[in-house]
Amino acid sequence: MTLSHAAHVPSPARPRRLPAGLAAVTPAFALVAVVFVLPVLALLLRSVLEPEPGLQNYAAFFASTTYLKVLGNTFLVAATVTVATVLLGFPVAWFLAIAPGFWSRLLFAVVILSMWTNLLARTYAWMVLLQRTGLINRTLMNLGLISEPLPLINNLVGVTIGMTYIMLPFMILPLHATIRSIDPSVFQAASLCGASRWQAFTRVMLPLTATGIAAGALMVFVMSLGYFITPALLGGTSNMMLAELIAQLVQSLLDWGLAGAAALVLLVVTLAIYAVQLRFFGFGQARS
Amino acid sequence: MLLDFSRLGPWRLVLVLIALLVGAYLLLPILLIVGLSFGSSRWLQFPPPGWTLRWYRELFDDPAWIASFLTSFRIAAVVTVLSVVIGLMASFGLTRGEFRGRELLRALFLTPMILPVVVLAVALYAFFLRLHLNGTFTGFVLAHLVVALPFSIIAISNALERFDRDIETAAIVCGASPLEAKLRVTLPGIRLGLMSAALFSFLASWDEVVIAIFMASPDLQTLPVRIFSTLRQDLSPVIAAVSTVLIALTAGLMALAALLRKDARS
Amino acid sequence: MTCFLDIRGITKSFGKVAAVSDVSLEIARGEFMTFLGPSGSGKSTTLYMIAGFFDPSAGDIRLEGRSILREPSNRRNIGMVFQRYTLFPHLSVAENVAFPLRVRRRPAAEIARKVEQMLALVRLEGFADRMPAQLSGGQQQRVALARALAYDPPLLLMDEPLSALDKKLREEIQVEIRRIHRETGVTILYVTHDQEEALSLSDRVALFNHGRIEQVGKGRDLYEAPRTRFVAGFVGHSNFLDCTIAAHAGERADIVLPDGSRLPELPIDRQAPVGAAARLMIRPDRLRISSPAGADAPAGIDAVLSDATFIGETFHFALTTAWGGALNVRMPSHTLPPAGHGVGQRVRLSWAPGDARLFAE
Repeated sequence: MTLSHAAHVPSPARPRRLPAGLAAVTPAFALVAVVFVLPVLALLLRSVLEPEPGLQNYAAFFASTTYLKVLGNTFLVAATVTVATVLLGFPVAWFLAIAPGFWSRLLFAVVILSMWTNLLARTYAWMVLLQRTGLINRTLMNLGLISEPLPLINNLVGVTIGMTYIMLPFMILPLHATIRSIDPSVFQAASLCGASRWQAFTRVMLPLTATGIAAGALMVFVMSLGYFITPALLGGTSNMMLAELIAQLVQSLLDWGLAGAAALVLLVVTLAIYAVQLRFFGFGQARS
Repeated sequence: MLLDFSRLGPWRLVLVLIALLVGAYLLLPILLIVGLSFGSSRWLQFPPPGWTLRWYRELFDDPAWIASFLTSFRIAAVVTVLSVVIGLMASFGLTRGEFRGRELLRALFLTPMILPVVVLAVALYAFFLRLHLNGTFTGFVLAHLVVALPFSIIAISNALERFDRDIETAAIVCGASPLEAKLRVTLPGIRLGLMSAALFSFLASWDEVVIAIFMASPDLQTLPVRIFSTLRQDLSPVIAAVSTVLIALTAGLMALAALLRKDARS
Repeated sequence: MTCFLDIRGITKSFGKVAAVSDVSLEIARGEFMTFLGPSGSGKSTTLYMIAGFFDPSAGDIRLEGRSILREPSNRRNIGMVFQRYTLFPHLSVAENVAFPLRVRRRPAAEIARKVEQMLALVRLEGFADRMPAQLSGGQQQRVALARALAYDPPLLLMDEPLSALDKKLREEIQVEIRRIHRETGVTILYVTHDQEEALSLSDRVALFNHGRIEQVGKGRDLYEAPRTRFVAGFVGHSNFLDCTIAAHAGERADIVLPDGSRLPELPIDRQAPVGAAARLMIRPDRLRISSPAGADAPAGIDAVLSDATFIGETFHFALTTAWGGALNVRMPSHTLPPAGHGVGQRVRLSWAPGDARLFAE
């Protein structure tokens, strides 16, 4: 397209009768204010009002070893998933950026297909694969590698495997864009300067992709923190994550005050990480 | 060197191996579902002892599944229309309006996309309890609209920003009124943005499960809710059949999106 | 009698900055007028006020005796070609040209006839069904021209329409624009920062600087008789030498150059007291090179040749005066002796009376 390629004097060609713009954003604003901001604020407010005004819900949350363990589980799983997606996603993004056309297009299609496939369908697949009599356990037993089925489901192992699967595309796609944007001639230059492959990797490639890795990692980490479906289906009742806890406090225990407190903890952590991301990397990728 | 596939040397082997493993990791579960949906074993043996269409028959004979399917579709369709219309208006305001706090407003509109859905789900559940909107069509549409709107605003705003404003000005100089210029020139000019806004809005509602779990009533259950509650009980192969239908739909939409992109490039 | 387009003292301020201040101009029917000037000089802003994209802060714009300021852009019935192509990307070439007629709800038969006529005018008869993306930049700009003329606007505005094209195409389309101007008789207001384009296309040029018009006139007048130092510097190439006024009489002055030599009776742009600083301006193609000062040497300046460049039809010489002033000379190659002039040679520079002008500082 030739469109706006010609750099030129800033075009002030604006018809005078501009819509103020305010009228146009009103419906969206009303929707977000009433169906988003208001309910969320109301929930957070309940954490300091119910059952009576005060901070006792937060005191209870941070005093309870059960809840602190949930918080610990949440961070542990999110961190493990983040590390796993970086370690697996980086080589894949690299491969996608440089492999011959057909193979990179094929793998790319697989990544996109898996990302777009219904979350429940994917989680179902992992429930089937990871169960006691599932494909993985049976294969390992048939191979004689194990004699007893490994406990792969209803615990944090299952949650981690399933969430890594779901988060991988969110790491691969932005990293792929980062690697594609590197000018290949920097490596020719590095080579002429006498750098070995390993030196070129550690001294040129990693620094050039560091911001991409960090941005992807932050996004995966923050998405994992608040994830609900996969932990609810692949996790066990004894090892909950924060999102499940919030749901359970509301659904089974009807403890709205404590649920509000837990929600605020989750929101504060999430927003803090997004603030870091916004500060250092600008707006990240869209989350699906 | 490092960005030239043929000159990676021994590293190439490592890269190919990991790519192969991750590709399998991403693809095999999907193939497994499709396989199981045609497999005859109720206990999900793989490879299946025989092949059958029984699970699809069970699925399509069950009025509850069909009802969920239709419910999801109706909600997603209404959400799509509203999301594109409201998103279009908001995008015009955000990209062209001249008022203070525009960037703040944009951030506010996108927040529902980045906050953990579970918080919104619990908050909306409580809010709708008072308004008696839980388990209602209106409730579902409002909730899913909040989730879908950011996708719509991103897609349409991007298209509007790429659209050369001078083209709309040219239409006005040619004699078209500002509204006529928008309808006849600007909207066709951003049609790909509108279509991807519609696509993403539909998917956002169609796949939404967390809010739906809280809001659903026995009478009004979206497809994801039914899948979720069935999964909590057992791993019936009927789920594999539903999932395969969903995967086929996804693949179809992907092909459509690819066609749109191709169309945009030509 | 009223003139066709009458711009009366228009001013446009953005906040405290005046983009255009007190610009007045009368344009005759059928005239080709160019607004020339550096970027930010107010030429485009003036054009946008005529198009109706900006309201003037003060002043009036009258078309055929009637003020158009209250009319919105879409009712001014003015044609416009933009810097970028601005074709409607989803419409074919024919549909693009038909667009202004469709929004005017003209009958289908008239539209079809007019589209055909317009495509013939811009010589794109075979392209009616193409989409804009299938056309080259030059073709797109010709479609834009056809679209702007389809409704027979009395006035056509062109906002740097050739700046996105390469040099060869620019020259080609300039010829087309001149032909279309001749054939249609439409009045054209043309904005450009390219002086060659301005001189070759227009009947008259209005040279803008800092939101004001410095001089209006035929291109040749601007070149031969620049009224201000800015005009002299912007239109064509110029040499400027610092000097001091030694005597002043009417529109002429004597000056003293830094080396003490005196030049008598040069035309000056305005009154200046004796002893005031001034600039001596001579076009590089009006300077003659002769042997260094002798009894028979013409009046002029002594300088040393510091560089000589052959660029085809002309030779460029760079010279330095005794006090370090720099001068350029251009001479047609065929007027030079085969040996030419050697670098380091001392020469005398002279000129015909009237080719040198003074601008008071």
